[in-house]
Amino acid sequence: MGQFLAKRLSSMLLAFFGLTVIAFGLMRIIPVDPVEAYFIMNQMPISEEALETMREEEGYNRPLLVQYSAWLLDAVTLDFGKSFVSKKPVTEELLQRFHVTLILAACAFITIVTVSFTVGIWSATKRGGFIDWLSRSFIYTLASMPSFWLAFIFVYIVALKWGLLPLMGWGSVAHVILPAGTLALGFIPYYIRLIRSSMLEELNKPHVVFARARGVKESVIIRRHVVKGIIPQLVTSLAITCGGLLGGAAIIEIVFTISGVGRYIVESMLARDYFVIQGFIVLIGGLYIIFNFVADMLCAMVDPRVRVKGDGA
Amino acid sequence: MKKLSGFLLIFALILLVACENTEHKKQSTSSDSKSELTMSWVKDIGQVNPHMYAPNELFAQAMLYDPLVSYGEDGEIQPALATDWEMAADGKSYTFTLRNDVMYSDGSKLTAENVKRNIDTVVENSAAHSWLEVVAVIDSVEVLDELKVKVNLKEPYYPFLQELSLIRPLRMLADSGFPASGTTKDGVAKPIGTGPWILTDYQQDSFAEFTRNENYWGEKPKLKKVIVKIIPDAQSRMLALEKGDIDLIFGSGQLAPAEYQALQKTGKYQTMISEPSSTRILSFNTTYGVTQDKNVRLALQHAFDRQTIIDYVLNGLEQEAYTLFAPGFPYSDVKLDHYSYNIEKATQLLDEAGWVLESGATFRTKNGQTLSLVIPYNSGDQVHKAIYEYLQSAWREIGIEVKLIGEEKQLFDTRSKTGEYNIIMNDTWGVPYDPHMYMRMMIGDKQIGYYAHKGLAVSEQLSANIAKVIRSTDEVERRALYESIFKTIHDEAIFMPISYRTNYLVAKNGLSNLSFSMQQYEVPLNNYEVE
Repeated sequence: MGQFLAKRLSSMLLAFFGLTVIAFGLMRIIPVDPVEAYFIMNQMPISEEALETMREEEGYNRPLLVQYSAWLLDAVTLDFGKSFVSKKPVTEELLQRFHVTLILAACAFITIVTVSFTVGIWSATKRGGFIDWLSRSFIYTLASMPSFWLAFIFVYIVALKWGLLPLMGWGSVAHVILPAGTLALGFIPYYIRLIRSSMLEELNKPHVVFARARGVKESVIIRRHVVKGIIPQLVTSLAITCGGLLGGAAIIEIVFTISGVGRYIVESMLARDYFVIQGFIVLIGGLYIIFNFVADMLCAMVDPRVRVKGDGA
Repeated sequence: MKKLSGFLLIFALILLVACENTEHKKQSTSSDSKSELTMSWVKDIGQVNPHMYAPNELFAQAMLYDPLVSYGEDGEIQPALATDWEMAADGKSYTFTLRNDVMYSDGSKLTAENVKRNIDTVVENSAAHSWLEVVAVIDSVEVLDELKVKVNLKEPYYPFLQELSLIRPLRMLADSGFPASGTTKDGVAKPIGTGPWILTDYQQDSFAEFTRNENYWGEKPKLKKVIVKIIPDAQSRMLALEKGDIDLIFGSGQLAPAEYQALQKTGKYQTMISEPSSTRILSFNTTYGVTQDKNVRLALQHAFDRQTIIDYVLNGLEQEAYTLFAPGFPYSDVKLDHYSYNIEKATQLLDEAGWVLESGATFRTKNGQTLSLVIPYNSGDQVHKAIYEYLQSAWREIGIEVKLIGEEKQLFDTRSKTGEYNIIMNDTWGVPYDPHMYMRMMIGDKQIGYYAHKGLAVSEQLSANIAKVIRSTDEVERRALYESIFKTIHDEAIFMPISYRTNYLVAKNGLSNLSFSMQQYEVPLNNYEVE
């Protein structure tokens, strides 16, 4: 386990480093820099000389390597520079909004896990029955609709026609239900299918057949053998979804008028606010790496084969 | 499994508590009380720094801050913070007399010293304002006495007063509003102005609350409070209006023509369209490809069916335009012919110019070159996209190929600077900028207006006339120059006006005295009333 941990940790560090290179590099590849973008956003025609003066002031004229190393050194101390638009520190700007996105993503995550586990397991055990048929129709309908469209339907019916929940905004439990539900809906069909199909696969494995032959109760087989068998695969998938939820909250935040980090990043992208986007990529990418690390650890704990072979089951 | 569900349950409970604790106010308050209005806005209002641009929103800057002079109807300059002003005979200095009764919302008095400080801080940061002549032209500011201030110019500039009336960057901030560094380039300490409203509460990206300034020097607003909710999505804004969370959606920036019409059709709201403001135009590039050929430009002018575009893309909300500026703009009453929609004439012009349609070919050619137009557009703009898609199919029928390039706003704008296009969408500036501002941009390097005339034989003469007209202090000469400029632009067919843009609003019943402001980014909340 120690060696496994060391290996995973070192690859994690390497991934972090690669992430900073990508975060920095990507921004420089995209045409239009923040100075120019600022004037475009304001619809102000500006001369090349004035642009150059401002680039000089902001330090965008220095060699790329110098800019990168200066930024990286600061980034180590969690100082991601200042936003070009607001002139405030990026870390402050991101953190101020991040908890909102985090709550949203966490609620969506819980919804995904509870709904897809319940429906997925139920549908696999009652394979071919009415429940199975119902859940599969439900999946196809959901999966074929874009989530922002579903969001509008929900908002229209639940918030506007019935007046049960607030239309938009943030601040109370009621405010979280619709956006988190919508965010989760995009992922639920995938997980129900995943759980259902891996359960079916698992149900035919020799150890399950053997357990049945021993006369073990069906509910015990499902809990002890089948579900346990699909967990490593699920945990890996869920870890990626965690990152996806954080990064994918942007549309939901715009539609529901929530001041989260996703909405902020869309605005920053339009303004080419280098440091904000770099900070965001490192933050979300970093979380991805951490989630994956945690998932690997969890898998290794559940499944000894992972520890020995060193890769996912 | 049980452990897992137990854990999830606890986690969920913690989250719920966390949500409940988050500060929550103003979000769900609908403005039932009589003197309060809630409206939506697309973007956060920013710090409301009077001397800077984005993320500061123009309408909010106009609510908090006043200019020395304001722009009245028909372009007349009217007193605001200055009761009186005098231009020196050589046009190189202006002396302003300030009102004696103006207080900032922090209780401090407006003085000449403070006005100087404001102008100085803007001029100091001239790189950011280099697009605006009024800042570039200021040489120094002198305080003559407590209420008299003199602004010296480097050279005469006729639209000086007109540009002083702009919402930014030359409006007045109280001394207490300046940041520690002393320059507003770094932001403001507090948004303290002399305007009719005071910013009393604010939560970034969520809402802003403006309260009537009881000590306002001018006519006080009828409303007591205005709450601005930041709602970035158009559909969400419409739902919010329907639910009664907001009372007003103001401006074409918040609703597309089709959305405006959808709300209008419900019959549940008051809707209103403004007078024409700026002009939507298609600008040719006379330095690139087939549009260097005047006959092609003329043919396209005649092959351009404005009425269809206005009826079907702009939902009839705008008036068709044949001139660069709407009638009524200063110096714009020049008599010019129209290029009317006439397909026969268009094809005849092309045939005569040697752009012929070989049998079996889809597109016209001349000496092996295809009659093909490169048109880039901002892919986020649905109206532009629809206009171009219509043109693409309409022009195909007369053998003209249209290559559309949809790009993200920033990339699109950069392409416009490189001049790699034949036709591009452009708007004029509207009141109080036009006509001088649009003219001035035509002689700026790499501007859309620059590519419009650069390829012409008369380009140099035109540039000289434009340079002269913005400096001229002689009214008669100015009029003659403008006339000559407009005539050249028309004869060379370098712009294709589409329509005069309008602004519109949708409000719930019960609001009265609704109107639009001369400056299209200003919301004239001072006049609005709740019945």
